[in-house]
Amino acid sequence: MASAPRLEIRDLWFDYEADTPVLRGVSLTIEPGEFVAVIGQNGSGKTTLVKHFNGLLRPHRGQVLLDNEDILHHSVGALARRVGYVFQNPDHQIFGATTHEEIAFGPVNFDLPEDEVEARTVDALESFRLTEYADVQPAMLGFGLRRKVSIAAVYAMQTPILILDEPTTGLDWKSTSELMQLIGELNRQGRTIILITHDMRVVAEYVPRCMVIRKGEVLIHDSTREVFRQAELLESTHIQVPQISQLGRRMVTLGLQDGILTVPEFCDAYNDLMSGT
Amino acid sequence: MPVVVDLYLHRQSWFHRADPRVKLLFVAASLVLLLVFKNIFIMLAALILLHLLHLSAHMPGEKFLFIWRTLLPVGIVMTVLWTLFYPTGNPILEFWVIKITPYAMVEGAVLGLRIMAMAFVVFAWLYSTDQPSLVRSLVKLKVPYEWGLVLALALRYIPTFQGMYEIISDAQQARGLDYSDATGYKRVRAMMPIFIAMIISSLRASDQLAKSLESRAFGAHGIRRTYIHDIHYRAADYFYTIILLLVVAVAIYMRIAYNFGIHPIRLL
Repeated sequence: MASAPRLEIRDLWFDYEADTPVLRGVSLTIEPGEFVAVIGQNGSGKTTLVKHFNGLLRPHRGQVLLDNEDILHHSVGALARRVGYVFQNPDHQIFGATTHEEIAFGPVNFDLPEDEVEARTVDALESFRLTEYADVQPAMLGFGLRRKVSIAAVYAMQTPILILDEPTTGLDWKSTSELMQLIGELNRQGRTIILITHDMRVVAEYVPRCMVIRKGEVLIHDSTREVFRQAELLESTHIQVPQISQLGRRMVTLGLQDGILTVPEFCDAYNDLMSGT
Repeated sequence: MPVVVDLYLHRQSWFHRADPRVKLLFVAASLVLLLVFKNIFIMLAALILLHLLHLSAHMPGEKFLFIWRTLLPVGIVMTVLWTLFYPTGNPILEFWVIKITPYAMVEGAVLGLRIMAMAFVVFAWLYSTDQPSLVRSLVKLKVPYEWGLVLALALRYIPTFQGMYEIISDAQQARGLDYSDATGYKRVRAMMPIFIAMIISSLRASDQLAKSLESRAFGAHGIRRTYIHDIHYRAADYFYTIILLLVVAVAIYMRIAYNFGIHPIRLL
C-alpha cells in the first residue's frame, strides 16, 4: 500500500439546485494517517463533502488536492486506487454471484496479478470473518453481513485513504465494536480514515479526531476530546455527546477532570477524585 | 442529497386543475390523432401545440430539455433506420444495397417526430397529475383500485430508479469500475455490476413496499375502501371533453373521407 496522501480542500462550493449552496466555501486539510469522524445534522452536507474526496462530485468552485495535485481531471475509477469509499447502503454495491467474487471486484479492476487479487480477497474474508460465506451469494446474507461484505470489498482495494459513510448503522454493538477495532488497526497501519457517523459513542471510543459540519461549513476540526468539550457549539448542531461525557461535565464543578469520553476514563477520573490525587 | 420521488410538478394552471379523467381522455385522443396521421406538417404542428400546452401549464424549461434529451436519440435512430430499410421512390443516393430516397427520409422523420410528440403528451399528463388523482381517475373509470395503484406506483418509481441507478453507478465506479472508454457490447458487459445491483435493489425495494402496504391493510378482504379526496367534473371539464371528442371525430372523418394527412408531405 502506498503512503497516504495529504488531502486538502480549498474554498469548496457546491449546490444541487441553483442558489441553494450545500457546501459554502469549505477549506480543510486531512493529514496522512489521520482518523477523523465527520459529524453533523442530517442535510448538513457531510456526504456531499466527502463525495468530493474521490471525484464522485466535482466542485462548482474551489479545489480538491491530493498531495498538492488537483484531482479535477482524474476519473472516479482512477482515483479509486487512492481513495476507497464505502457507501451508506450495502445494497448499492453488492452484485457478485459469491462473496469471494464481490470482494475481488475492486482488485480485479486495478488489473492486479491473479495471485495478488486472491491474496487480498482471502485477507479481506479472514479479517472480516467472512470466510465461511465466501461461496454464498452476498445478496442473500442478512443486513449485518451484507454491511461487512461491502466494507471488506473496499478494504481489499487497500487504498491509502478510506472513507466510510455511516458504516455502523444497523449493526449491533458487538459487530460495531469489532468493525471499529478493525478500522482502528487499518489506521495504525498508516491509512487515513474518514468516517461519517451519527453515533457519538463510536466517535468517543474509537475516533481520535472530529470534524463538525453545520449548514455546509466546517464548524470545528480538532481532537475529539476538544470538540466534545464545546458543548454549546455542539448543541447548535443538535449533536449530543455520550451520556458519560455529559455526566463527567456536570461533575467538573465537584473536581472531576474535564473532557471525559468513555466509561473507563470516567472510572479512572472518579477514583482519582475519591482518592484525592 | 436530493432524491427525486415523483414526476408530478405542483403548479397553478388550467391544465393542472382539469379533472384527471379529462387528462386521460386527452392522452388517448392525442395518441389516436398522432397514430392516424402520417404527415410531417401535422407532426410539426402537434409538437408546437404540445410545447404551448406545456408552457401554459407552467412547466419549467428543464423538463422540456429532459424529454428532448431522452427521446431525441430514439427519434433520430428511428428516422435513420426507416430511411435505410424502407426506401420508396427515386433514390438520391445509392451504394451497395442501400438506397436513400427523399420520400423515405420524410417518412422516417414523421416517425421520429411522432415519438417525440407522444412523449410530450404522456409527460404533460404525468407532470400535471398527482398520484392520488391518477389512481382516483382510473378507479372512477371502473379500473380496480389495486390495478390503479400498481400503475401509479410504477410511474412514481421511475425517478426513484433513476436516482438509484446514479448511486449504484457511483458506488461501482468508486471501486475502480471504469466503462467510459468501452463501447457497444463491451460497455454493456462492463456495466453488468450496475445492472445486477439495480435488479437486486429493485427486488428488495418491491418486496419491502409490498409488505409495507399489506401491513397497512392494503387488499384486506371484506372492507370497502373510502377516499379522502374525490374528483368531480366541473363545467370546464365538460367543455374540454366535448372539444376533445369533436377534434377526434372531425380528424378521423377528414382522414377517412378526404385521405387528409396520410401523405408524408401533401396534406390532401
